Amino acid sequence: MSQVHRRGPAQIEANLTPMIDMTFLLVVFFVLVSTISEVESVEMELPEPSPTASAPPTDDPRAVINVIPGDEGEALNYRLNGFDFQLGPQGIDGLRSRIIELYSANPELLINLRADRRTEQKYIAPVLRTVTEAASSSGRESAARINLVVITERDSSNE
Amino acid sequence: MSSRRDRAIAKRRIGVNLTPMIDVVFQLLIYFLLATNFALGEQVFRLDLPDRGGSQQTVDPFEVVEEPLRILVESSSSDENGLRIRIDGPYPQPESLEQLERFLTENRAEAGIGYFLEDHPVDIVPNESTHWGHVVDVFNATVRAGYLKVRFSEPEPMTP
Repeated sequence: MSQVHRRGPAQIEANLTPMIDMTFLLVVFFVLVSTISEVESVEMELPEPSPTASAPPTDDPRAVINVIPGDEGEALNYRLNGFDFQLGPQGIDGLRSRIIELYSANPELLINLRADRRTEQKYIAPVLRTVTEAASSSGRESAARINLVVITERDSSNE
Repeated sequence: MSSRRDRAIAKRRIGVNLTPMIDVVFQLLIYFLLATNFALGEQVFRLDLPDRGGSQQTVDPFEVVEEPLRILVESSSSDENGLRIRIDGPYPQPESLEQLERFLTENRAEAGIGYFLEDHPVDIVPNESTHWGHVVDVFNATVRAGYLKVRFSEPEPMTP
């Protein structure tokens, strides 16, 4: 009898290594994804036309211009790929030269425009104008293409 | 003698206590699960911006310049009821987006007995304080009505 208990009580151990592996992979995935989406997606209420004629976004290379919303339809600044640009002529100049840089690196680039549905047109018109000017001064053969980002009804209804 | 000592050494395993690490990793996992916000449900309108003299364009001297249909958009508040639409010209004025879309569809030459071809230019003319959502709503209605050349005009200065 004493021989049975010589090594102490039987120990049951689960092998935790695969679980830790998986968990680490998930953590790394979410760290990377949240960094990417922070650059591109700013919290705002996108326009929600219904029924919409918009199309799902393509996988083409793109740059995202966010018009950061303020209170009462105002805008705070513009953000392109994580860089902030002030409202007004100086910021617009900066935005233009940044878009020209991006266009010269990749002429096929698409520009996505995200703006809050309450933002007034006087903050958005300069962006459209700037992209047009940047496209023509970067010597592209075709006109600039811009994507207006909207949200579809189905997904915003369950917020 | 020596084989027994070897066995004794082999049994004395060096173990790292992984429990705190797993705890922390799980905390991180849950944090990122909750904090990550995917851009679900986002769609896009593709818009070709006008070419402003960047490249040489050939101009057809016999081409008749078509007068664009101008749709003026104003907002009095940011919700759906705050949208005011006015069509420039001797047309019936739409009260709502649905009426605008019906007007545009019925007056398209392909769809009804209308004045406008599908590539007739349509200008969306907001003023400075028009909300972006309303501009996109009108754009959407025009695209749904089947027009191919829809443009955004520079915002008009506010009329007192």
